[in-house]
Amino acid sequence: MKRHEVSKCLLCNNPIDESVTWITLLSNQFPRTICSHCEDKFEPYPAEPIDKTVISLYKYNEQMKDYLHRYKFMHDVLLAKVFRHQIHQHLAKKEATIVPIPMHPEKLKERTFAHVDELLKQANIIYEHYLIKITTETQGGKTREQRINARQIFALKENQNPAGKEFILVDDIYTTGTTINQAKKILLDAKAKSVTAFTLIRR
Amino acid sequence: MNFKLSKTRKPHKLSYKGIIIEPQIRDFFAGRIWTRYNTPFPQSKVDTYILRNYFTTKKGITIRTKVLIFQRTHFTCNRCQNKIQQEFVQYTCAKCEKECVYCRHCLNMGRVTSCTDLISWIGAKPLTHKKHLLDWNGTFTEAQKEAATQLVSSIKQKRNHLNHAVCGAGKTEILFPAVHYALNRGLRVCIATPRTDVVLELFPRFQKVFPKTNIHALYGKAPKQTGFAQLVISTTHQLFRFENAFDVIIVDEADAFPYTYDQALQKAVHKVKKQDAPVALVTATPSPQILAKQKKEKWGYSFIPKRYHGHPLPIPRYESLWSYDKAIQKGRIPRKLREWTNEKLSNQEPFLIFFPTIQLMEQAIPLFQQLDERILSVHAEDTDRKEKVMKLRNEQILGLLTTTILERGITIKNVQVAVVGAESKIFTSSALIQISGRVGRNAAFPKGDIVFFHHGITAEMDEARNEIFRLNKEGFGKNETP
Repeated sequence: MKRHEVSKCLLCNNPIDESVTWITLLSNQFPRTICSHCEDKFEPYPAEPIDKTVISLYKYNEQMKDYLHRYKFMHDVLLAKVFRHQIHQHLAKKEATIVPIPMHPEKLKERTFAHVDELLKQANIIYEHYLIKITTETQGGKTREQRINARQIFALKENQNPAGKEFILVDDIYTTGTTINQAKKILLDAKAKSVTAFTLIRR
Repeated sequence: MNFKLSKTRKPHKLSYKGIIIEPQIRDFFAGRIWTRYNTPFPQSKVDTYILRNYFTTKKGITIRTKVLIFQRTHFTCNRCQNKIQQEFVQYTCAKCEKECVYCRHCLNMGRVTSCTDLISWIGAKPLTHKKHLLDWNGTFTEAQKEAATQLVSSIKQKRNHLNHAVCGAGKTEILFPAVHYALNRGLRVCIATPRTDVVLELFPRFQKVFPKTNIHALYGKAPKQTGFAQLVISTTHQLFRFENAFDVIIVDEADAFPYTYDQALQKAVHKVKKQDAPVALVTATPSPQILAKQKKEKWGYSFIPKRYHGHPLPIPRYESLWSYDKAIQKGRIPRKLREWTNEKLSNQEPFLIFFPTIQLMEQAIPLFQQLDERILSVHAEDTDRKEKVMKLRNEQILGLLTTTILERGITIKNVQVAVVGAESKIFTSSALIQISGRVGRNAAFPKGDIVFFHHGITAEMDEARNEIFRLNKEGFGKNETP
């Protein structure tokens, strides 16, 4: 990891003044990629004791909306680095297999990068694909009813056997839970031992 | 720069190409450089035109490997001419299944990667009109008249021009004859400025005096405009989307924030002009570099040291305001600043207070609102910026706290100005001259108060004040300088 790979905030382009402390010198932390001013604008999602199966890091506020727009729709791949520290902290020590929510191959060609995979890659998390997406339609732009009644959107990848394994599904945003629930069902139907989920954002 | 322009291919001399060109497509793409898969027209149509050689295509990013000891690759963005290597990002592209590069510099106009094609129109030229109406019956002062004639003659001779005029000299009006002359010769004219605010102010004024001309105003999030515009008013950022397009370019407020710093923007101006097209710079505070260039390359030069109403520029005065930031952080307004504000409030005079940072301003705004509720604040990311300035102009609010965003291009009757923390780095001499230039622009109120509240006097502050002294001397002779 290069210590000074980013000298200006990836979001607002102001210089990052990271003070050198013993912790930054000696530990193997990721260097900052955004300034503290931008970081403060992200609102952490409260850890919910009721629904422990889905862990989310941030709320969907204006700043997050802007971030997601620039990352997913303006295709600024570099922004995958912004949350690498937080994602690494949450997933690095987990024993379960990390499974990112896949993209349809056609959609992938259009976007030129898989946004969930890229987030994990930048956070140095090892992941494995167990699912494939079989529809090209997206969840965004649908109403709540349409989403919940959506047809099956995933299938199990060939030559992958989830039986008896533990899984953590990873996605960028959790809105109604349709995506996560459908993926979960596929894995559980194939006799997975347990399936939890991790998303960066939750509405 | 020139060698690059000469590379563009000449249009093929075939008269029959099997399709009739749609005027909308011709008018839109003439002079523009656009990403192939992101046009406002159906993709199949665009592809047909490309196939029939109405467009040239080139890669979005040029990759060169320097054959030296270290085989380092060097990227250039073909849209924004960016060469700063830190702003290029390499990533694994799922479309081409290899390493591709994109440019972050012009990312907010849609991504340009090494695997996207940029297209530029080489088909027939759009029709230009030569009968433009100049509907303006104002009168010039003598100095304005002279500057306007000089500008026209520079454009006739196709040489660059620097128009140096003090704040409030009536720079926009000086442009009217020159623009009118160029339009009537069938030339395509671009007025570029670094600030969106200036575009928004210039556009209605030009549309009013050129009622028969199709004018496009281009800025981020501008509404869609149709037809071929012979006159384009654009932010310098939007120029990235043009290439080899204009016969005359006028850069207004040439020294405003991004234009002086950002080399890519300067290159953009040279990219969008035709090879021998003249560039005219209009500014109140030319940088030493611009002045040196003007002398060296023998540009035309006109200088107006007097305001249109013939009164001298207000001279800023210094007031010490020690440790103002600490006082504001502790939740109180320093005494001198409070007294100044109260005085303006009781006199019912609108005022602007400039702050060096957004943070400090946001700490200060609740304190000022305790003095009077009708005080608001604006900064660059404020979406209601336009409305708030309008409110001050209409006397609905009494004062505005602002960052340097309002340093130029705004005119408010009888406005009083204070700069808090004038010693801060962001207040360069040109910024301070511009800020001082907000005061006394109206003929009915040619005087006004401009105070620099400081925590120590800087060379930039002195430079600004000396320059204002000098301008007054030039305009009025020695006796009248205060």
